[in-house]
Amino acid sequence: MTQTTMVFHPRPGAGPEKPWTFPTPERTTLANGLSVLRVHRPGQRVVAVELLLDAPLDAEPEGLDGVATIMSRAFSEGTDTMDAETFAAELERCGATMDAGADHTGVQVALDVPASRLERALGLMADAVRAPAFPADEVDRLVRQRLDEIVHELASPARRAAIALYAELFDSATRISRPRAGSAESVARVTRDAVVDFFTTHVRPATGTLVVVGDLDGVDLDGILERTLGKWSGSDAPATEVVPAAADDTARVVIVHRAGSVQTQVLAGRLGPDRHDAVWPSLSIGTYCLGGTLTSRLDRVLREEKGYTYGIRALNQSLRSGALLAITGSVETDVTAPALADMVAVLKTLAAEGLHDDERDAAVQNLVGVAPLKYQTSRSVADSLADIVAQRLSDDYLPELYKRLAAVGTADASDAVVAGFDPGRLLIVLVGDAAQIREPLEGLGLGPVTVID
Amino acid sequence: MAGLAETFTATEHRLGNGLRVVLSEDHIDPVAAVCLWYDVGSRHERPGRTGLAHLFEHLMFQGSANVHGNQHFEFVQSAGGSLNGTTSFERTNYFETMPAHQVELALWLEADRMGGLLDALTQESLDNQRDVVKNERRQRYDNVPYGTAWERLVAMAFPAGHPYHHMPIGSMADLDATTLEDCREFFRTYYAPNNAVLTVVGDIDPEQTLAWIEKYFGTIPAHDGKPTPADGSLPPVIGAEVRETVYEDVPSRSLMAAYRLPVDGARESDAADLALTVLGEGESSRLNTRLVRRDELAVYAGLGIMRLVGAPSVALLDVKASGDAEIAAVDAAVDEELARFAADGPTPAELERAQAQIERGWLDRMATVGGRADELCRYATLFGDASLAFTALDRVLEISAEEVRAVAAERLIPVNRAVLVYELADESDNTDDPTDEHTDTDATDNAEGQAA
Repeated sequence: MTQTTMVFHPRPGAGPEKPWTFPTPERTTLANGLSVLRVHRPGQRVVAVELLLDAPLDAEPEGLDGVATIMSRAFSEGTDTMDAETFAAELERCGATMDAGADHTGVQVALDVPASRLERALGLMADAVRAPAFPADEVDRLVRQRLDEIVHELASPARRAAIALYAELFDSATRISRPRAGSAESVARVTRDAVVDFFTTHVRPATGTLVVVGDLDGVDLDGILERTLGKWSGSDAPATEVVPAAADDTARVVIVHRAGSVQTQVLAGRLGPDRHDAVWPSLSIGTYCLGGTLTSRLDRVLREEKGYTYGIRALNQSLRSGALLAITGSVETDVTAPALADMVAVLKTLAAEGLHDDERDAAVQNLVGVAPLKYQTSRSVADSLADIVAQRLSDDYLPELYKRLAAVGTADASDAVVAGFDPGRLLIVLVGDAAQIREPLEGLGLGPVTVID
Repeated sequence: MAGLAETFTATEHRLGNGLRVVLSEDHIDPVAAVCLWYDVGSRHERPGRTGLAHLFEHLMFQGSANVHGNQHFEFVQSAGGSLNGTTSFERTNYFETMPAHQVELALWLEADRMGGLLDALTQESLDNQRDVVKNERRQRYDNVPYGTAWERLVAMAFPAGHPYHHMPIGSMADLDATTLEDCREFFRTYYAPNNAVLTVVGDIDPEQTLAWIEKYFGTIPAHDGKPTPADGSLPPVIGAEVRETVYEDVPSRSLMAAYRLPVDGARESDAADLALTVLGEGESSRLNTRLVRRDELAVYAGLGIMRLVGAPSVALLDVKASGDAEIAAVDAAVDEELARFAADGPTPAELERAQAQIERGWLDRMATVGGRADELCRYATLFGDASLAFTALDRVLEISAEEVRAVAAERLIPVNRAVLVYELADESDNTDDPTDEHTDTDATDNAEGQAA
């Protein structure tokens, strides 16, 4: 007999919770001084490897911004025994990908490969950092490619906003104020000699850390490491010094003019405390309540009530020192001023009234509860461990963080997010059509408005 | 290395109302994914209502009989879960990845909106989500360089009136014209249990899970009024090159193209995937080696496949020119590489590399319960058999070098492509075309905002 009406049932509760613990790494050190963190993740047949080199961007020589990026890309351009094309082909024959990049915390080389071909791929990675050829013609080509890439970055509203925010927020004398992979002017000066100098000065096993995550059942990881990265040698050196960050968070608006934009890219930010600060768990909960998801305060108004945006988010993102606290998204050009007025109103209401217990509860339940989902893959575990290594946190930082997140109270989360996202201390960068958006912004009291090209 | 079929298994079931159910156990982590595919996509939309399937997907998160406002998101996220929905040409999917002890909640939520969405659908939520979707379109298509390239290419590769002529995002005018009654009718037509596949993968008790599914979904009435979608079949080869040149304020010149390929599911479509991988995926691919490394004509050169079942699959070529390189030189180099490949096929080393890369892709997709659930839904919905997901890789690995060469020779030819050329705006008298739309290789659209 055909059913004609659905029978609705009450919303079910949860079943008995099953235990899950954050995969804790085991730490060892190779004879050459390279630190190794390994995590066995059953069932994860792709192994994720991350090599962290203590070669931060502020170690780049004056005027050579981008040399660390070119060096990291040149790792896969050939070794003492292989030319660049052979190297790329060998990696792909393993079903592997290797990506290297330079950030403020250091140079990172990421390798993903099926466990069955781990030794071959780790051998290639070891050759790349142990005996890179850095052929002059390939380095020159990477420089030209990076110059091409810059043109594309500048055309992207989101990238353009980030470049402008860092330039405005931080002292121009500090490396963090300038693009990670260098500007057209500085990259053009990078030569093979500059790459070799940077490599010789900053790349060595003794200050590096290797993270290996995946199903290591039946994998003789110690033997593989000894036969690959174990062959890398180099002198000892002290860890690089972390210079405390400072920023100018005077409230102001900077419009990057982009004629004809149908949306305005918004990036409002300032410098805040990082993961070393005791306030971090409270700040993380508070930031989630403000703008972690579609039902957080910002999207509740700007997206779900007003329809001004596809989505706007608040984030707290660790830097080498300090963290960027930011609100980011894009809004329709015509409603730029009302959207910013709403954004500030959300922040002021939050400051005046604080968070509610149910918001705090939802944030804790989500941020803590999603851990088993978030850390399913080798790559996600490796990335998170790489971050804590890069930020010089202890190996058990993540499991401890989850305990602290669960214990954050409503008042602490409120205080942290209100102090962090003070609308009177926000630098607001807008990438959009200045001719259309400037005037309506002047009256909002967001601080002086300037337009740059 | 053990194949996927030795590692994973799935069982299929069917409720009395026609809902197909796929279950797959995996107890390694205490997590489970619920994934629901409705057999409706932008190909089912009628003229004047492009974008309706995707807009409707947004409305599915606006509440249902016993779920108010944004509670769908709130309940899932507060349970430690994550969720989203996406719309493509051929299907709309919804998924929740949950801690294992919260699976029942996800099933209840999906059932409540499958059976009770219209109880909560209002003009207010339609108007709001219409604005959100229009802002999604601006963010992903209209406000970024090359933003509308794939939309234009798809429209050129599939003729006017063809069900795949327009992208899932739809046009602003059609989004504006959509009424509440359109949405109600769309729901009544397509959101029926007998037009869906529900997959649950992970740390589950299959018997208990099936009992919950029967309890929550079993009384939702079946509905048989779904019209047959317009026929998407086309001749294998376009016949003559279709070419359009646009002058825009873009960072560099670009050559982009779409080639018709065999329909997904056919052995030839796997051969095409291998051909495109050799030619256009990865650092050692032929196009990258020739255009980026050796001739330095391009800063990026790649080829990828968009698999389709109800129409020819499509090969998407994307070349971003380097510095002052001219499109004519890029075009000539691409043609030469494709012609050489069509004549000689892949070398044994190239075929081995392509197989290894495709294997890696499958291992990555199988690494999460959500990835597995989505693949099981895909094979059940589009090919009638979920377990084909676990043997798909084996089928790719059986393809010979000669099959790879043959499909390239037949399909990757100038008379089978739509070409879109971007020239720089200041090089033309006719600078800005106000009718221009503007990017994305991804034919799916997410309901949740992506923060930069």
